Amino acid sequence: MGNPLLDYLSRLLADHAREREEQDAAEQPVALPDLEAEQSTVGILLVLRRMRIPLIVLILMFAVSVFGLTVIPGQDADGNPSRLTVFDAFYFMSYTATTIGFGEIPHAFTPAQRMWVTFSIFLSVIGWAYAVGSLLALLQDKTFRSALDRKLFARKVARMGDRFVLVVGYGETAKRIAESLDGLGRRFVVLDRSEERVATIDLDAFHADIPALRGDARVTANLTVAGLGHPHCEGVLALSGDDLVNLDVAMTTALVRPGLPVIAQSMSREIEERMRAFGAPEVINPLDRFGDHLRILHRSPAAYQLMVWLTSAPGTPLPKRHAPLPDGHWVICGRGAFGRELTADLRAEGIEVVVVDGDPVPGSGDRFEVAALEESNLGSAAAFVAASDNDMTNLWLLQAAQRINPHVLLVARQNQYGNAVMYEAVGIDFGLVRAEVVAHEAVARLANPMLMRFLPHVPRLGEERAAELVATLVERSGDGTPHLWTVDLTPAEAPAVMPWVEAGTLRLADLVRAPQGREHPLPLVALALIREGATHPAPEEGESLQLGDCLLFAGTSAARRNLEATLFQETTAAYVLEDRVVPNSWVWRRLRG
Amino acid sequence: MNLEKVVFGFFVVLAATLNFGFFIGDLGDPEMHNVYELFAAVVVNLIATVLKFGDRTQIGAVHLATSLAASLQLVAAAVVWAFATHVSADGMTTEMTASVVSLSGGALFANVVSVVLLVVETVSFQRR
Repeated sequence: MGNPLLDYLSRLLADHAREREEQDAAEQPVALPDLEAEQSTVGILLVLRRMRIPLIVLILMFAVSVFGLTVIPGQDADGNPSRLTVFDAFYFMSYTATTIGFGEIPHAFTPAQRMWVTFSIFLSVIGWAYAVGSLLALLQDKTFRSALDRKLFARKVARMGDRFVLVVGYGETAKRIAESLDGLGRRFVVLDRSEERVATIDLDAFHADIPALRGDARVTANLTVAGLGHPHCEGVLALSGDDLVNLDVAMTTALVRPGLPVIAQSMSREIEERMRAFGAPEVINPLDRFGDHLRILHRSPAAYQLMVWLTSAPGTPLPKRHAPLPDGHWVICGRGAFGRELTADLRAEGIEVVVVDGDPVPGSGDRFEVAALEESNLGSAAAFVAASDNDMTNLWLLQAAQRINPHVLLVARQNQYGNAVMYEAVGIDFGLVRAEVVAHEAVARLANPMLMRFLPHVPRLGEERAAELVATLVERSGDGTPHLWTVDLTPAEAPAVMPWVEAGTLRLADLVRAPQGREHPLPLVALALIREGATHPAPEEGESLQLGDCLLFAGTSAARRNLEATLFQETTAAYVLEDRVVPNSWVWRRLRG
Repeated sequence: MNLEKVVFGFFVVLAATLNFGFFIGDLGDPEMHNVYELFAAVVVNLIATVLKFGDRTQIGAVHLATSLAASLQLVAAAVVWAFATHVSADGMTTEMTASVVSLSGGALFANVVSVVLLVVETVSFQRR
């Protein structure tokens, strides 16, 4: 397999075979209502229907003018009586009515003819004004526009040649995920109920053309038009602000396209359970995740930093590492399910928690009193969590807590992204925006299927190893979010290194040497080794690799290309792994024996 | 009584009758075929065509198709007539008249189909 052409061909064929398999899998019968046929003619039918009367007016106006011109007596150049023929009259009216005004007529008109022509001119002006006005009004018409937009959208989606994700709801969360997807070079289609939000897609500068439709996701026809039945649809993101809509989308997808991955946001446990009853959707509950984030941060700030970084949009600089959380008891101000979840999460981590529960006042949301804060031994607390669902209340609580205990660590649940500036002004130590939590979770699932196998192991790495991993990653691949990819050590994906794999002498450290000079490592880091279904995070450089191993790499895209050269080209592999120069051509190899 | 149906039926039938009026008479004799009748037939046929725009039913589509065929034939007849009287040196010869009238005869056939469709539609329309 040393010949680059053979090598290329075999890859091409392998790609082809894989594509065919994928197509076979994708072309399962999908019984969805076919709206295409109806959609294709609706625009033109509407135009024809609305233009009926203006067109008839135009025809009548023309006919009357022409007829009048033919019957009114005229004179030829010698003064003999003559009339315009129907053809002459039609010709005259054609250039007059269209305002071209050629001025070429067989003979000068008599006063009687002039009177009639004057009348015809005004008649034709009115006729045209009416027809053109009707057409313009039709173009402005909302029904017509939406019919046209929908048709255009349906056509764009139907012609999608790449795999795409169907995003339902285009709020703050979806916008972040969209940026990440766009950065990863992935395509997506947006469906949202609000016209304004759909319009902002044109303003958000994406590399790819993003088809967007304004419509209710609860209507199955809208989901169908948005590509739910499309063979290239690779997943559905249900991120609308309404839990019931998300539930509807998850259920529809599970029933219509069983097996299609669904990532749904849900704010309540009950809806979450209902979603899980249909298929196996990935449900993200941002309120539940808040506690998880705090737990990971408590265990290892470096692990938390790594997780956030890997699930950020491509090119995001390394987020700052939080200081280790101080020991001591925590005070939480938060009511309802959220407060309970958070308390349970923190207690599971072995943290002593004091909960300050506000008295509910009908109509005014939560109410916390300064007295309650003072009673809660906040003075000796290590951390204070403001976790109400109102940003103003949270800000007020943080201020009050800081006044009582200036050294306390301030943690906040941020509800609106726009209020981040105010939280910063108050001086919080750790804040979580709902949109960000969901975005990180969704990107973790979308960026690379193997990433989700690695991330759960990160908190268990321990602070030291996580910090080391972050440091190596930054040193090798720079300060932007690294590129993620996987390599399967199989004859199809790594043909050139197979001899070493079979002999059991392939070490990870050797594989990641640079083809340009093997003394330097490639700008990448192996994040995880998946062997026989088990995930080994951050494998040692000396680890020897086996057939069927799957490696998750993070690094620059140049590193990926170089690694692929090693995996596919025998000569490169020989140099990188053994510092041996193998001739490229068959003749030289024979000669060298 | 539906006014829309009255107008529609009126124009469809008028298109056929005018067309028939122009067509009837000796095929090659220009005296027998008045150009104003052809003019009126063209205009009424065009109006009938426009009236049939935008109907999504099957019968509506066939209606539109027959009208388009008739209009096309009549416009062709008018063009031949204009050519004969204004461009050709010989004027309305027997041959020219014959070709104008036979073109309008074709249109008449399409118009008859249109009228038949109208009758079928009316007969099959059930109202209790």
